[in-house]
Amino acid sequence: MFGKKHEEKRGLQIIIVGCGKVGRTLVEQLSREGHDIIVVDKDAKRVQSLANLYDIMGIVGNGASYSVLQEAGIENTDLLIAVTESDELNLLCCTVAKRVGDCAAIARVRTPDYSREVGYLREKLGLAMIVNPELEAASEAARILYLPTALEIDSFAHGQADMIKFKVPEGNVLDGMNLITLGQRIAPDILICAVEREGQVTIPGGTFQIRSGDILSFAASRSAGKAFLERIGFKTNAVRNAMLIGGGKASYYLAKQLLNMGIHVKIIEIDRVRCEELSVLLPQAVIINGDGTNEELLREEGIERAEAVVALTGIDEENILLTLYARRVSQAKTITKINRITFQDVINSLDLGSVIYPKYITAEAIIRYARAMRESMDSNIETLYHMFDHRAEAVEFRVDGDSAVTGVPLKDLPLKSDLLVSSIFRSGKVLIPNGQDMIRKGDTIMVVTTHTGFSDIQDILA
Amino acid sequence: MNLSMIRYILGYVLAVEGLLMAPCSLVGLIYGEQEGWWFLAVGAVSLALGLLIARKKPSSQVFYLKEGCVSTALCWIIMSAVGCLPFVFTGEIPQFTDAMFEVVSGFTTTGASILNDVEALSHVSLFWRSFTHWVGGMGVLVFVLAVVPLSGGSHINLMRAESPGPSVGKLVPRLRHTARILYLIYIGLTLLEIVLLLAGRMPLFDALTTSFGTAGTGGFGIKNTSIGGYSAYIQWVVAVFMILFGVNFNAYYLLLMRHFRDAFSMEEVRAYLAVILGASAAVFFNILRMSRGVFDALTKAVFQVASIITTTGFATTDFDLWPQTSRLVLVLLMFIGACAGSTGGGMKVSRILIGAKTVIKEFGSYIHPKSIKKIKMDGKPIEHEVVRSTNVYFIAFTTVFALSLFLLSFEGRDLVTSFTAVAATINNIGPGLNQVGPTCNFSFFSDFSKWVLIFDMLAGRLELFPMLMLFHPALWKEGLSSRRERNK
Repeated sequence: MFGKKHEEKRGLQIIIVGCGKVGRTLVEQLSREGHDIIVVDKDAKRVQSLANLYDIMGIVGNGASYSVLQEAGIENTDLLIAVTESDELNLLCCTVAKRVGDCAAIARVRTPDYSREVGYLREKLGLAMIVNPELEAASEAARILYLPTALEIDSFAHGQADMIKFKVPEGNVLDGMNLITLGQRIAPDILICAVEREGQVTIPGGTFQIRSGDILSFAASRSAGKAFLERIGFKTNAVRNAMLIGGGKASYYLAKQLLNMGIHVKIIEIDRVRCEELSVLLPQAVIINGDGTNEELLREEGIERAEAVVALTGIDEENILLTLYARRVSQAKTITKINRITFQDVINSLDLGSVIYPKYITAEAIIRYARAMRESMDSNIETLYHMFDHRAEAVEFRVDGDSAVTGVPLKDLPLKSDLLVSSIFRSGKVLIPNGQDMIRKGDTIMVVTTHTGFSDIQDILA
Repeated sequence: MNLSMIRYILGYVLAVEGLLMAPCSLVGLIYGEQEGWWFLAVGAVSLALGLLIARKKPSSQVFYLKEGCVSTALCWIIMSAVGCLPFVFTGEIPQFTDAMFEVVSGFTTTGASILNDVEALSHVSLFWRSFTHWVGGMGVLVFVLAVVPLSGGSHINLMRAESPGPSVGKLVPRLRHTARILYLIYIGLTLLEIVLLLAGRMPLFDALTTSFGTAGTGGFGIKNTSIGGYSAYIQWVVAVFMILFGVNFNAYYLLLMRHFRDAFSMEEVRAYLAVILGASAAVFFNILRMSRGVFDALTKAVFQVASIITTTGFATTDFDLWPQTSRLVLVLLMFIGACAGSTGGGMKVSRILIGAKTVIKEFGSYIHPKSIKKIKMDGKPIEHEVVRSTNVYFIAFTTVFALSLFLLSFEGRDLVTSFTAVAATINNIGPGLNQVGPTCNFSFFSDFSKWVLIFDMLAGRLELFPMLMLFHPALWKEGLSSRRERNK
């Protein structure tokens, strides 16, 4: 009666210290994936509200204290994630946890003072990972600005290939074209993996007809991707200048990266002291002391001529308004930073261009680590990416041995519906497969699907 | 309100109940009793119906506290309605109200009976009566949670509605595993008792039914004399196990995890054992003169105290004939009840403890009006919410109690009978005093009074609020409007 035939894969035992926004996102995701989760926070109310929503256990207390960690069962824990407000507390939590139990530890560290020493800290404290939401968000924004027409870019296969997401504009050559024609006429070396249309995500077949307004995600090697975008009439040259509104940590990280790429940066920040700090840290950037929500100031600083506008203030509503304004008065590529993770539908329905969620990005990075950790126990998943806000997944598998999927042309494989083998990496090269290609032993393949919970390459078969 | 989720859970509960009737048919087969067929038939129909209802998975598994309360209350009502059908069909308890009373008394582990002659029942029915104790003791929904895959975490609301105690925690992060651990401990202890009873040369059938009655802290006997006819050894085994099943199951989990110090320092368990010790001593000295020797008095005192405080309700003697002090001690014990997180009923020791600590704190604030003191339990501060809900529970309990007593007064019986009848049902004990004493039963009550007592039993087992929720007008409004929306 108690044994179950189909026992799910054993989840990791995970302690999450800190029930803020990132903590919450982590709990939501990780508990859905079947891990055993214990949350620790000093605030009883936060713990209680989480424990009411998700199938987890809550402990009220200081996560860096030995007895609290003991109560949370640190000895049997596989992974500790410290995402409290304070960097120091996070690092202390991880250090104590490492000493008491033999677990992997992830800390969130945001202060730039430490983040310059991330490598050193990680090594010396023996941490599995140090995450920095602001830095991750900045890197994401930098990537988007570098390839301006793409909405989002994810790189995989150790950076050799990209998954690029873009929206088909009105009157584009692609409008009305089906995928077979696209493959024959325009781009044989890219593969459309997923399409979002009217909020629905599908994995398209060959007869799928592209319409303007669709959001396409395609896999391609870096050069092929750029070439394809150029061929269908997108300008792909990077922006030459960028206006950053808000001078927080994310702004600092982003400015640094953009300056390195040779892009002119202008930062508008309201706090004079912070402006002075920034001007010391970023001597090449133009720092403007003023209210970023002041229309007059924005015009004076030339928002109409800006090629990119990035809204990075601490207030989501302000960021959204700024972006909407920028899109109205200029042709600039816009990026909006949004901290809160609620009301996503509303935000998606606005014409904001690219939106980055630092908390999501952080949670995503941690979840990816947890997945890899769990999967590496007895499976061959390399990495896993979420696409279209978790409505589709891209999974990288290692093909270790011969099995039912190897040695058969892809067109003859009985694959699940809503699933696509998007790329094959063989001997260091990226191959965008067609129906004739076969999976071979030793390959790493990437599968895009709207199904979830894959653990083995065999799972792709229907 | 998520009606389809409630439907889904109800379906599963029906199916599980159908399966639980299977052992009864097996008993019928062994003893060659015709009644077994009825159990098989009702069980099969219940199983089929349940699976049919639960076939379609609800699109949204979102589940809030109100849904938890409503589905728990409905589950227990429907479960009882189905569970009493075999009694009606076999003609052993022809009246629906009587059959309902008997089965509700079984599931809620009360053990109050309307049968004048228990021994006249078939083995099948006796088995089902005792088995309902075992099922109801740990809770049907806890069982469903242990075996049915439900996604999401809000199902703690189901467990919270069904499990007794002021605050329901988990043993391990996952609810499902918690439910499984609880059931495994439960099954393990039950098996242990069966073995020990068999060692005392109790017949297998008696050992099974008695163990079920003890494990759920129910109290249905299969003899007219309850446990009184068995040897002293058996009485002691039953007494000890009654006490064991009244202990908070968290303590067993801690023991299993080898956290011995934590287990033995649980304040609630210590208080519970102290009360048993004190009450037994009081009763022992009080009845010493009228018993046959010291051992006899000790056996009777410990057994009765254990039986009442754990809200089991087995009897080895007619304690209604005891001196007033002993009778009063037993009535007081009725209200204390067992530990939270056990299978027992009553107010729960932890609530009494929190209540007592609040009183002491308030008392202290008369001397130091500006002093601030947090109430602690097991060395941890108790959240204000818990204290508040405990106080509210006392008030609600008193109100329901008073109302029931008022409704029962139409019968025109004496106060002791009416008072202990309500106390024995709302605290899930079984026998009371006077006309509802251990040698008597509840058959003489009118149908109306029986329904009042049925409600009391259910309300007591589910700790009032899930049952009371059903009377909340806002809930009905919401339920109806979401139904209308779906039909559109």
